[in-house]
Amino acid sequence: MTQIFHPRFGLFVKLALLAVLVLASAAVLAWRGLTNEPHRIGEAVEQPVPFSHKHHVGDDGIDCRYCHDTVETSAFAGMPPISTCMTCHSQLYTDQAVLKPVVESWERGVALHWQRVHQLPDFVYFNHSIHVAKGVGCESCHGRVDRMPLTMRTKSLSMEWCLDCHRAPQKYLRPREQEFAMGWQADDQQKLGLALIKRYHIDTRRLTDCSVCHR
Amino acid sequence: MSGPLDALRTRLADARGPHYWRALEELVEQPAWCARLSEAFPQLSQLEPQLGRRGFLKLLGASLALAGLGACSRPPQEEIVPWVRRPDQLPPALPRFYASTLACAGDVAGVLVETHQGRPTKIEGNPAHPTSLGATTPAMQAAVLELWDPDRSQAPVHKGVASSWDAFGDEVRTLATRFAADGRGLHVLSGRLDSPTLAVQREAWLKRFPGARWHAYEAVDEDNALAGARLAFGEPLRARYRFDRAQVVLALEADFLGAMLGALRHGRDFIGGRDPQAGAFSRLYVMEASPTLTGAKADHRWALGSAHIGMAALELGELLGVPGVHATQSSGLSTRRLRALAQDLDAQHGSSLVLAGRTQPAWVHALAHLLNEALGNVGHTVEYYAPPEPWTSSAQGLRELTAAMADGQVDTLLILDGNPVYATPADAQFAAHLAKVPRRIHLGLYRDETARACQWHLPRTHALEAWSDLRAADGTASAVQPVIAPLYDCRSEHELLALFLGDLQSPRARVQGTWQVDEAAWRAILQNGVIPHSAPPAQPPRVDRGFLEQVTMPEDAPGLELLFAPDPTVWDGRYANNGWLQECPKPLTTLTWSNVALVSPELALAHELKNGDALELRIDGRHTQAPVWVMPGQAARSVTVYLGYGRRHAGRVGGQLGFDAYALRSTDAPWRSDGLRINRTGAQLALATTQRHHAMEGREPVRTSTLEAFRADPAFAQEHAQPPPSLYPDRLHGEYAWGMSVDLNACIGCGACTVACQAENNIPVVGAEEVERGREMHWIRIDRYYEGDARAPRIHHQPVPCMHCEHAPCEVVCPVGATVHDAEGLNVQVYNRCVGTRFCSNNCPYKVRRFNFLQYSDLHTETLKAQRNPDVSVRNRGVMEKCTYCIQRIQTAHIAADREGRRIADGEVLTACQAVCPTQAIVFGDQQDPASAVSRQKASPRHYTLLEELNTRPRTTYLAAIRNPHPALEDDA
Repeated sequence: MTQIFHPRFGLFVKLALLAVLVLASAAVLAWRGLTNEPHRIGEAVEQPVPFSHKHHVGDDGIDCRYCHDTVETSAFAGMPPISTCMTCHSQLYTDQAVLKPVVESWERGVALHWQRVHQLPDFVYFNHSIHVAKGVGCESCHGRVDRMPLTMRTKSLSMEWCLDCHRAPQKYLRPREQEFAMGWQADDQQKLGLALIKRYHIDTRRLTDCSVCHR
Repeated sequence: MSGPLDALRTRLADARGPHYWRALEELVEQPAWCARLSEAFPQLSQLEPQLGRRGFLKLLGASLALAGLGACSRPPQEEIVPWVRRPDQLPPALPRFYASTLACAGDVAGVLVETHQGRPTKIEGNPAHPTSLGATTPAMQAAVLELWDPDRSQAPVHKGVASSWDAFGDEVRTLATRFAADGRGLHVLSGRLDSPTLAVQREAWLKRFPGARWHAYEAVDEDNALAGARLAFGEPLRARYRFDRAQVVLALEADFLGAMLGALRHGRDFIGGRDPQAGAFSRLYVMEASPTLTGAKADHRWALGSAHIGMAALELGELLGVPGVHATQSSGLSTRRLRALAQDLDAQHGSSLVLAGRTQPAWVHALAHLLNEALGNVGHTVEYYAPPEPWTSSAQGLRELTAAMADGQVDTLLILDGNPVYATPADAQFAAHLAKVPRRIHLGLYRDETARACQWHLPRTHALEAWSDLRAADGTASAVQPVIAPLYDCRSEHELLALFLGDLQSPRARVQGTWQVDEAAWRAILQNGVIPHSAPPAQPPRVDRGFLEQVTMPEDAPGLELLFAPDPTVWDGRYANNGWLQECPKPLTTLTWSNVALVSPELALAHELKNGDALELRIDGRHTQAPVWVMPGQAARSVTVYLGYGRRHAGRVGGQLGFDAYALRSTDAPWRSDGLRINRTGAQLALATTQRHHAMEGREPVRTSTLEAFRADPAFAQEHAQPPPSLYPDRLHGEYAWGMSVDLNACIGCGACTVACQAENNIPVVGAEEVERGREMHWIRIDRYYEGDARAPRIHHQPVPCMHCEHAPCEVVCPVGATVHDAEGLNVQVYNRCVGTRFCSNNCPYKVRRFNFLQYSDLHTETLKAQRNPDVSVRNRGVMEKCTYCIQRIQTAHIAADREGRRIADGEVLTACQAVCPTQAIVFGDQQDPASAVSRQKASPRHYTLLEELNTRPRTTYLAAIRNPHPALEDDA
């Protein structure tokens, strides 16, 4: 009885299997490339004006709330209107090229379009005011903005990451006086955190309820 | 439906105790119907589209491939666009409320408009306004959808070509010179003059153009009330009813809880006087031809032909011994009933009330005034006041205008916000006469039938975009303020008139000028929403009995009478393009997206008619075809048709629906005509009704008793003192335990909760075809049950939202944990986890879960995006959804309270359905707190749980309804 397949067929089969493997991995890579977030962690986001938190927060020591003024009262921390920029920049660096869009926006009354850096899905209802009221520091989510010449995301913002804190807030809580400080560290975070949960009346029973963030 | 009445009689003879049914077919146990009813998902018997095996496989393959491709997109890069200069210092992300006033479906009530970053998204009632007291009607809820309707007219149109207000300004100058002399030939057609500022402008108009004529026409008119007041008092006085003071009420075809002006206030006052635990409990008698919301709530509802109601009132007057009142004909109402009624009214001298509806002739209105006077009610349960704005006859206005148009006297006709080409009786031949008018100008929200018949069409501002003022049914005036700049290039009617008058005031100053108040007072008015001391004082008029001589009895015609009624949701047709109102099941019929001709079971039996049969209606040479609806409780020889359908140019939503009942209407008898002839055509018309959806298998979902029986056995509705043991573990309890209580004794079945929920929770509209498949998305539905004889059934309403069961059957069957409990007892639905197996819905005994079978939410129309509540996710295809107890409102209150480190106060969280309810039937709160309103409600002896035997331990529970029949008529209710 003769062989049905010629011995050379073995090579073809191996090549075909290799091709399938290559195609499959290419497809996975392409899919990952197409569906990941617009900006990776640690990737500086280009903005119409190269606004530097490093300069404003790190060098000048301006409080977060000077610009993000609704962070204690509303869900949205607040992006400053151009008028806030102009409190200083009507006098300072008025002739700098990098500030030109700001000055033009002010003079012509046309708003600037900033690229969002921290973006959550539409079915997540995050509220800044309650986090600030309960002792979550800005740094815990936004990282060391005082070291960022251009703002970038430093945390994954995935649900797992949110739950890490919602399951055990004592790991991250700060006294309210230190919320807006950068680089603050507790001596004994665990002990302090548990004390703060009591002091700020945090109902840990419901922190991992779906309804807290999803509506 | 062969012999339904015979079957019914034998069936009812066997039945014992209260037996509830929802559809006539159910009562007579038609096999086909029963098969459908026993299916948990009748909609699944018809998969869409109708597929063969090959088509199915093709679609399956394609959807797999497309699902893969569809997932291949990254989240969109969002932008943040801050202000250049922020207008004020309030946080931009918090909603703001502005007090304003809306006139919807003829009724006027104060509202608070919720805006999110400048976008109006929701209407709430204004608690400070006397005709709202915090409640609104379904039409008012739907006003935001009307504002954002993409079909609204956006720019002036001249002879079918887009034009501009500048071009129209030139036309105005030409016309101003043309009519400079005396204004002869210049006619204006407006709606009812509800706005004092419009009345002032009318005066100015007639002064400036002395030869001009001003006509007011409203399709749903109050002419009979006007003529009745003239007969009785010699002057046009309006009545202000005080139902909270009335112990016995007799409504002569007066739907004071539904279609009558001031219904919101009436509902609150009337239900306030019917607390079974309190001492007094009022009694309501209703005589009407066609069942209404008021009739459904009556302790005694007597179905009489519309023409016989006046005779019954005369007989009653005679029994009461009112001088001068003699009944010449018998109404057919039994003496036993009349005597009991007369005795009841007499016993409550000074705290009874008789009122007549808009469909009753003028003399019945006058007779009602006379009876109130004889019973000593004037000044107690009814007051009269002289309306400050001119109150003119609508039919007279139309008649004069059509006569002038026919004679060629009209040179220029200015139509201020109305659609007379559609909404006028057929015999007025408005369209034909209008064509003879050389210059026709129309101001309106839509490019409707009238707009197309005019050379100029001008877009009108929406009520939420303009300054105005309105006077409510009780005489209170309130301001209308814009909450958003006009979306399009449009003007209000005040601005249009000002253009002609050369009045250069700002729209705000014009309205402020009407009230002559300083800036501080005006700001207070805008903040509170009510103009203080604007209600005219009550007058004590005497009834002139002279009208009794002129009472003309209609001949006792053996034929059928044809009755007209405004549609419960789309009214006279003006809301035809509003999807929320089209899909809100109409009270009692539970129909959506269509109107019908209501016939009685007897008439259906005689002509072998069943629901959906096309019927040819003929009267005085006018005719049309209408689908039949067999209405239990309809008077035997009365056929009722609803206005508002058959629109030809309503827009993408409202076109080609139902039939045009104006084709049967006549100017002289707009509400009732004799000599109707009907003819079955053999055709069948599809009707989208929800009455058979979500069946609960006859397990006594509603519980009722009489006042006497309740006093003897207060806990009649309760089954178990203690909840039976359960295998499920008891849940951990959080700081709050949210619960809801629905008082069936207070619910009047108006459907405002359904529409309010739709507005608050971004619930999509699905369309007539999908409703027919049982796929409507409403999170709270009003179940309507009949009890007893099909010719005179008792009618019950039951709002059913999610029960938020503590032992929820839906949760254990979800394979992906998309429906789970939270610590505070909410059964939450997690959209981002849901994969659409629908197991939860299958396992829900209350049938309150809704599935997005198709992509129902419109994600592309820009203006509709702006309407949505930003605090609630917009759901996509393939996701289950249901009532959340307005979780966004709970969380907002939670965050506000937690931020301040305090507890959420009782009443701080109002669900959308609770806030809108005119009779406060729905109470929501923390049931762990014994002092909360909801705990106090649940402690009532009338408290019961729906399907308690399933031991699901729902957080939503009910209070049984109580009726108060006359002791002598207990067996004859």
